[in-house]
Amino acid sequence: MCIRQISRCVAAASVFFMLAATASLGDPLAELLRGLAQEDGEARAATLQSLVATGDERLETILEDYRRGSLYSWNDQIVFGIDLIEDDDLNEFVRIGDVFSHEPLLDAAIPLEDILVLEPNGAERRRVTRAKTLLGLSARQKIRRRAAVRKIGTQTNRTAALEKLQHLAETDGDRIVRFAAAESSAMIKFRSQDETVQREAAEALGRLRSVRARSLLEEAVRREDVTAPLRDSIETALARIRGRERLIATYDIVKSGISSGSVLVLMALGLAIIFGMMGVINMAHGEMMMIGSYATYATQLLFKHTPEHPVNSYYIFALPLAFCASALVAGLIEYLVVRRLYKRPLESLLATYGIGLIMIQTIRSIFGDNRPSNSPSWLQGALEFLPGLTLPYNRLFILMLCFACVLGVSALFRYTSLGLKMRATLQNRDMAAAMGINTRMVDSVTFMTGGGLAGVAGYALTTIGGITPDMGQNYIVDSFLVVVTGGVGNIAGVVCSGFGLGLLNKVLEGTLFGAVWAKIIMLLIVIAFIQYKPSGLFAPKGRLADE
Amino acid sequence: MSNRVYTVDALIKRGYRTKSTVGLLNGCVAALFLVFALMLPLLAFYGLVPIETVNMAGRYLAFGIVAMGLDLIWGYTGILSLCQSLFFALGGYAMGMYLAHHGNLFGPNGIPEALYVVYPYAIGESKGMEVLPWFWMPFKSFNLTLLLGMLIPGLLAGVIGFFGFISRVRGVYFAILTQALTVAAWMFFSQNNMKFCGTNGLTHFKTIAGHSLREDPVKLALYGATLASLVGVYVLCSLLVRSRFGRVLVAIRDSEVTLRFTGYQPFAYKTAIFALSGAIAGLAGLLYTPQASIVTPSYMEARWSILMVVWVAVGGRGSLGGAVLGALLVNLLYNTLTSQHTVLGVTWKPDYWQFVVGLLFVFVVLVLPGGLVSLWKKYTERIAVET
Repeated sequence: MCIRQISRCVAAASVFFMLAATASLGDPLAELLRGLAQEDGEARAATLQSLVATGDERLETILEDYRRGSLYSWNDQIVFGIDLIEDDDLNEFVRIGDVFSHEPLLDAAIPLEDILVLEPNGAERRRVTRAKTLLGLSARQKIRRRAAVRKIGTQTNRTAALEKLQHLAETDGDRIVRFAAAESSAMIKFRSQDETVQREAAEALGRLRSVRARSLLEEAVRREDVTAPLRDSIETALARIRGRERLIATYDIVKSGISSGSVLVLMALGLAIIFGMMGVINMAHGEMMMIGSYATYATQLLFKHTPEHPVNSYYIFALPLAFCASALVAGLIEYLVVRRLYKRPLESLLATYGIGLIMIQTIRSIFGDNRPSNSPSWLQGALEFLPGLTLPYNRLFILMLCFACVLGVSALFRYTSLGLKMRATLQNRDMAAAMGINTRMVDSVTFMTGGGLAGVAGYALTTIGGITPDMGQNYIVDSFLVVVTGGVGNIAGVVCSGFGLGLLNKVLEGTLFGAVWAKIIMLLIVIAFIQYKPSGLFAPKGRLADE
Repeated sequence: MSNRVYTVDALIKRGYRTKSTVGLLNGCVAALFLVFALMLPLLAFYGLVPIETVNMAGRYLAFGIVAMGLDLIWGYTGILSLCQSLFFALGGYAMGMYLAHHGNLFGPNGIPEALYVVYPYAIGESKGMEVLPWFWMPFKSFNLTLLLGMLIPGLLAGVIGFFGFISRVRGVYFAILTQALTVAAWMFFSQNNMKFCGTNGLTHFKTIAGHSLREDPVKLALYGATLASLVGVYVLCSLLVRSRFGRVLVAIRDSEVTLRFTGYQPFAYKTAIFALSGAIAGLAGLLYTPQASIVTPSYMEARWSILMVVWVAVGGRGSLGGAVLGALLVNLLYNTLTSQHTVLGVTWKPDYWQFVVGLLFVFVVLVLPGGLVSLWKKYTERIAVET
């Protein structure tokens, strides 16, 4: 019994030692790494080259550690310095960890004088950076590969990597890597001394419409020793690249216009229904949106979603929660205040503004200012149609959410019995009441629906920016402009004017004017538009127009 | 009164007061207010009241002037304007630029300190090349400043009103448009390269018309000027609303369509009254700035324009005295409730003011649509009935 226990202990201990040993000794990479501790600089450079030649993925972090000076040589093996500890007498100790996993190797720290710090000099650090880029070319993750392929094009004296780049440009599985590899290899060739190679490279860059190469080409064309044919081919390439850049700029304006328009539509949809049906100006609409954002934030806290440990499912649950939270608050407001203010728009404006102030302060006392929102990881990143033409997933999501809401509201109006009642109340309240429709109930439901839609807008906004109690104030005036332009109680009008104003704003902002002037000019255009069409884009015709 | 017809004499015998008696009562209240307002600087002169109180009262009286202008347009004409705060701030900036001119000057070209500190450099400019922007020039002169401080907001209001009213932008639409304009102006003034000193606003004031702003007599004089302007604007406005013009305004409020069918052009009246209310707000801004010794774009924020409406609503719209009363009361309340108090072990925090003002909005709309003045009107009627 006793012996067996002892033997088990011995076995455990030996296994432990073997593990510790295999972690760094058995590995060929670890053997190679030891070369970094050599005195001779050239030997170290040779080590670095043979390290890169292995193409090992793990080298990426190790080289970065080496560049930062966090690697040590101890007991004839390379270790990672976790941290430096200083005792009361100012003696320094290092806690060391495994070079690959960074797991602590020993419980105690080692005095700094017993251990050799590997400190690469400036030239070596540069060499390490270049080596890292070269390694990145064969990284397994495509994000890393993309970064490395792009970076290598900006570095000088990279002809050695050309073969690898060409290989990548033809065979890589990722479209963006293939493109960037072609770009980078052309850029590298362009830096060569041979003029025919340079011309070919310039033409290739022009064909690729490589925006990245523009500054390189511009620099070259400014030099005086450029021969005429080379200058010609550079100029042609530059013209093509500039054309692409104009396309990208235009696309960006349209993209941001549509995406800000989709937020406006989401906001204005609820406002327009409420205003059209009840003649109530809901200045607290922005605050209902804010409630939606905070509901999303609260769900995120509940699911313990953080950028490090994403729990993406929270975002699916947050949508109905945001809608319900805002709708409930809206219902409460309707019950307490708004139902006393029907058809008194100016008074309702004041009262709901006051409610908005109360809501802002309440949320501020509960949550505090500026909560960080972390969108789910599947909304990060972007869709890339062409190099430079990207559509971030969060913008795409908001656009789709906006369309879903518009379709949902239209369907609600058109195909449900509730929608029928809503339309009846909207057209002629008294007649609808005479036909047995409980118009007060319809009003409550409408107000709650409108508030819920604002909540959805708030939910969508968490993917774009931070959450603050007064975030609604930034949107309320613009949303009202959308309602005014689109015509009251008119979904098609709201959609058109929302996207129209969003686009107009960004076009003015992106072309001639700054953000402020764009806003002012947009406002003047809206005023001029109202002169021309006082009841909005799609004015009611016939008897309805009398009201 | 059932169906019997009474003569006026019989009514008076039965305890009803004629219009003139009620007017007398109102006059007494106004006189009481004036006596109190005149006592304040006297008390300060003898050191019984700190000069800061007079300064504060002067600022609130300036708010009272804005409120009267707003009452003309909202209470009497029924147009909700949410850009009174913009007109107020424009007047404030006019005076602010004058005061900045007469403070410390910096740089070889001698530009005001407030502008020098935040001067936005255009491309190719370097420090030391700052020149005074052209639109700062007219505000060197005191008289011109006073004139422009009222003329610019008045004209702006006239232009906004003209284009808004001629196409019959009404009610809520007008409110939203003016609100949007205020926001646009706020963005405009907040930019550094507009050379209005950005969000810092105009500060570093030293002298007004050759007198130091720090001296007590100057502060008392500013208070006096504000009070005199308040009385002047009150007299002007009450004459106006009693005139035929004023009756047209009330007719616009009550039924614009009917008025148009009787051959009037409501848009001309609306534009005129809107321009006047803009000029009045500008005057208030002119008087406010030297007493607050700063003017920033924050007065153009949305909350200010709506807050001004609430002053009038609390006091009672459609009554000039009510507008002044509302402005004074709400601001005194603000002054009390935004400092920390401990009463009976309960601590009042400045943050709670937001709740108070929010509830005030709701309360005045739901419970007291006529404002405090409506209570007073009920009270005077009751006296008449009881005697």
